[in-house]
Formats: sequence, C-alpha cells, structure tokens
Amino acid sequence: MLLEVLQGTEAGGFILLQDTVSYSGRHLLKSYISTALKREEEVVHVLGFEACEKEFRDGLDRTNAQRLHFHNAYSDPLGWTGNSAFTVHQFTLEDVSTLIKQTPQAKAVTLVIDSLSWILRHHDPAAVCQRLQALKKGGAVRTVIVLVHTDMHQRGTVGSIRHLATSVVTVAPGTRGLGAVAKTTRRTKSGKLMQDEETFSINEDLSVTIHSKLSHPGHTHVNTDETEVDPTANLTFNLRLSDTERQAKEKLALPFVFSKEKKSALLQPGPGSGRILYEPDANDDYDQEDPDDDLDI
Amino acid sequence: PATTATEVSVGKSTGDRLSCNTTSFQKKSRSKLVSIPGTRPSVQNGQLIVSTGVTSLDYVIGGGLAVGTLLLIEEDRYDSYSRMLLKYFLAEGVVCGHELYVASAQDHPSDIIQELPSPILDDIASPKPVESQTKPCDPEGPDTMSIAWRYQNLPKVQTALASSSRFGHYYDVSKTMDPEICQAARCHGFYLPEHSATVSPMPEAYVALLKNLQEVIHREGFDGSLPQTKSRNVLRIGLHSLGSALWGDDLCCRDNPSHGHALTTLLYGLRALLRSSLSVALVTVPSHLIQNKALMGRITRLCDTAVALESFRGSERETNPLYKDYHGLLNVCQVPHLNCLVCDLPDNKDLAFKLKRKQFTIERLHLPPDLSETVSRVSHGGLAGAAMLGSSGCGSAGNKHLDF
Repeated sequence: MLLEVLQGTEAGGFILLQDTVSYSGRHLLKSYISTALKREEEVVHVLGFEACEKEFRDGLDRTNAQRLHFHNAYSDPLGWTGNSAFTVHQFTLEDVSTLIKQTPQAKAVTLVIDSLSWILRHHDPAAVCQRLQALKKGGAVRTVIVLVHTDMHQRGTVGSIRHLATSVVTVAPGTRGLGAVAKTTRRTKSGKLMQDEETFSINEDLSVTIHSKLSHPGHTHVNTDETEVDPTANLTFNLRLSDTERQAKEKLALPFVFSKEKKSALLQPGPGSGRILYEPDANDDYDQEDPDDDLDI
Repeated sequence: PATTATEVSVGKSTGDRLSCNTTSFQKKSRSKLVSIPGTRPSVQNGQLIVSTGVTSLDYVIGGGLAVGTLLLIEEDRYDSYSRMLLKYFLAEGVVCGHELYVASAQDHPSDIIQELPSPILDDIASPKPVESQTKPCDPEGPDTMSIAWRYQNLPKVQTALASSSRFGHYYDVSKTMDPEICQAARCHGFYLPEHSATVSPMPEAYVALLKNLQEVIHREGFDGSLPQTKSRNVLRIGLHSLGSALWGDDLCCRDNPSHGHALTTLLYGLRALLRSSLSVALVTVPSHLIQNKALMGRITRLCDTAVALESFRGSERETNPLYKDYHGLLNVCQVPHLNCLVCDLPDNKDLAFKLKRKQFTIERLHLPPDLSETVSRVSHGGLAGAAMLGSSGCGSAGNKHLDF
C-alpha cells in the first residue's frame, strides 16, 4: 500500500510521513516527489527547510526538474538577513497561495513540506493544524505531503496532525537488515480504514521496491498445537463405545417421547396455557355454597 | 443540580406507561404538560426526554436524553463512530421536527446535514418479534431438540438492549436523507473558518461559538422570550470535535496547554444556556488526543451524560476472536442524577457496539461457550440426543444447537 498512497486523484489529500532519528524519511519523500513529477502536467512546490536545493534535487530526474519549484527556506528560515526567499512566518494560507499562483498553468499542484517540524517549533501547533486544514480544503493544492520528525514533538502534537491526515506512513529501520519498515494507514472519504506493514528499500533512481508484506501485527491468535489429552485412555474400565454399542444406544426409545403430532399440538400456544382439569372424586365435597354465608357479623 | 426549565409535574404517576400500546389507560393530564413532538416524560424521574437517535444508546443512558442536558461523546481514534452518533442525533431531530444547530471547525455544517442517514419510516421503533414463536415441532430438522422439545420455541437469550416502549426511530446508514426532508428542517450552522477570516486564536473561537448560540436561542425563542402563541419546540445542538486543534485549542497538542480552562469554561457556559432553554446538546471531544487526564476528568464532570467509544479498527484487538462480532467498546462514564438521588441504569458495564446497516446496536459483551473441536462431545441426530448444554443458558448465536 506504500505506493498506492500517491494514487488518489481526488482533492484534499494529506499524506503524513513520520520518521525518527533512526531512519530518515527524506528518501521516501523524494521518491514520492519523483513519482508525482512523472505524471504529466503536475507541478510540485517544495518548502525546503532542512536541505538545500542542490542536495534536494540530487537524484531527481533532470527532465522533469523544471516542474519542481523549490522555495528556499533553508538558508534563512527566520528572515534574519531580510531578503529570504521563504521564512517560517510565511506559512499562512495567503502566502502559500501566492507561491502557488506563480505557476498558474499547472493542472494539479502538490505541496511538499520538508519538514513540518521546523514550522511546529516556531508556531503554535493549533495554528499550524488550522493552516494545514485550510490548505487541504482550499482547493489550490491537490495533495499536501508533509514530513514530520516524531521524536521532536509531544505526542499530542503529532497525534493532532495525524488526525487531520488522510494517509499516514510511519518509517522505521528494518530489523533484519533488509531495508526499512513502513506502516501505512489510509482513510478513504467514506470512512473506510486500510492498514498495511511492508518492508521496502529505495533504489538509486528513487523508485521503491517492496520486499515483503509483514502479516498483520495484531495477529495474535495462536493455533493450539498441543494435543489434548484424551481422558478415556489408560483407564482400567472401558468408557468407549464400539459401533454396535453405539447403534444400540441410539435405538433406545426414551421415555416421555411423544409423537410428532402431539409435540406440535403441545407447542402451539393454546387459548389458555394453564388449564385446571378437575374431576371431583366420590369423596370430594363439591359444594357450591360459600360456608361463610351464615356468618352474622 | 437545579431543576430544569422543563420539569414536568407528574401528579398521577401510575400512567407512566404512556407509550406502551398494551394498555388503553389514558392519563388525566393537566394542560401544564409540555407536549412537544419527539419528546416524552421519562418514566424514571419525570424529566422531558428526547431520543438520541439510537435506541440502544437511549436505553443505556437511562431512557433518553433529558432536555436541558449535555451529552459528551469521547471520540474513537478515527472519529468514525462518534461522527455517526452525531449524525443519528441530528437525523432524529429532523424526523421529530426539532430545530438543529450544528457547529464544526472541520466540515461545513451543510455537508454534515447532507450526509444524514435516511429514516426507515415504516418500522418505527418496534422491537423485532421473535421469529420462531410459532414454529411447529419437526423432529427431522436440525434445529429441533429431541429431549428438551418443550423449550423449542422459547426465544434465545436477548443480548441486545432495548426498552419496551416506542421511542426513537431507526435509520438506514447506506442511504442519505432525502433533500426535501432536510430542507423542511430548520438548521442553524456555525462553521469556524467562516466566522474568523484569519486563524483564530483560542479562546476567541469558543467565545464566538457561545455568543452565536446564545443569540440563536434568544432569537428563536427557545428560552421563553417569545410570546406563548408560538408552539414550543426543542433545539438540538451538535458540536463536533470540541477541543481539537482546529478550534484553535492546544488542549490536544500540548501536555500543558496554555489555556487549559478555555474548553471547560465553554462547557460551563453551554450547560447554563441549556438549563435555561428548551435545548439539548451533543458534544464530541477527541479524548484520545488529550494527554492530560485530569483535564479529561474535569471535562467529563462538566457534562451531564458521558459516553466513551473505543473502536477496534486499526488496533490489535481487531483480530481478537472475542471481539469479532463487534466494532468497538462503549463505556458509559457518567449519567446525571436529575432531581433524584439515584438513577436507574442497566447493571452490565461491559458494553460493545456494532454498526449495522439499519441499526446501531449496543450489546452486552459476553463470552461465548467453549465449543472447540477438542471438547469430546458428539452430536448425533435422532432419539438419543446428545449430552450438550441447554440453549437457554448460553447466549451463543451459533448454529450448533444445544440440547439437554
């Protein structure tokens, strides 16, 4: 599912890439960018805070390179020199829209933020969430891909950003040295949730090779392979039935077994479920009079 | 808690079974009784209650939601089922003819209204009759019992919770409500990005919400400000995802939020508004993001009824065989004591929910009997029967029929 994350063509996509210090997610991010660039008419705007432009473009296909617009927020992110291309404080809906309007001919715009951790350090996390939501719903951008370093922020902050995302990819180093492990969660518009865990590695040309799909991590159902001890074995008396004995047992007519018609008749809810049938015996004094009638009070 | 504005004086309390149609008893009621469509007096404490839209949830919180109170729903991880409950609540308001007020920072209220489930109008809240009531005894069928045949037609153990009286409607989740029905309902919306052009710092967003709500209540006369000629109605308020970062609140983002009292102040003001008007509110809060547990406790205390949802989707519980029939767990955290000392609740605390197409059921979570293959019990048809447990004791819905 790692590769299907980018295939959605509907607007309002928000892909969150989570990494930690043990495995950097930037390679996967560049792989996503190169996939997006391979599609015709698609323009990618990158807000680069953590890597310079030369390093970022390294490895990307040269032919598509002019559709990648890199906004340099690496040299001067806080605007100290006064003539920075993009500062952290410019992360608002209006300023980002201005950037996007520089390429009006694009059919679809993908906005890549590398990385959001920089912005989260300088802005209130709630405000960042609101701006991301505005970008998502704004319509100017079709997909937003965001890289976040989870070990730099509090759990609640990362959780809030996850809550907004339509797809979340968490990368971690692989255990057996084969590559890295990616856990993907995708939420469709109808509310359906899909999860996957895969081992992958990234090749020289920034394409992703999936090695194996790990089984669902929550699969804890263990088949009971220990054999149950048969209690009827090793006894001094016989508890088992032979075939003839079993047939004789089944043929035995049980007491109080009625025929089918009588059972059906008894099962139908009758007019009165409890009827008292009383037949007076010879010894019974069936006198209708009330014995208290002659009481004179 | 003070008495609500809508307390009904139930003088002759023997007529509590108003909605049950097995009695022809008509309660002699004075004209003091507030009769608003979609509401009825509670059988427990005489409060005017409305349905939440989900009949099982009504049963679990004590019959329904009292007018003038606040229901808190703690969201599940991906906000799927809590959103569904909000939609049920609003759909019930549309069907009963109540007015709606929807506030959200994430989706436009008109989008939420368009997604409401469509009501099943020919099957109004009637409990399904037990199908096997008049099944004749058939010794050859696989379901018949040969020894305990007198118990053949008795109903199986009811695990679904329901009360006997009619209240509330059922909805079909796969269809959305007809636009004509939606437009017939009066709906007020509050969409946060429209109310503040820039990113709104907190707690201004909450203040704006409360002011807007107060203005709507006063203008439409829910607090009694309009003269009596207008017929009374109930306002259903649905507030989506309060406390999330989109409202400008960093309650979910930080362990020590900078304005920790903003949401609690809003809930306090909201409850005051509710108590003085004919309205009922449902609030969803993403409690799984709130790191500060003490704050969550305060939020729960400030609401009247509190219910927490935990969905199995995406967690390791999804493959647990115990939970395979259900979509998640439901925990009733708090139920209010409105003008009474004790409230009557179903005693079972382990509740699980399942969203089916036509019903959102909440059931008691029970362990199925151990019918693994290694258990040495054989089953042969015929007269001898088999030595198995009786069917009335265990709540298994399985195909294996059990006989004495």
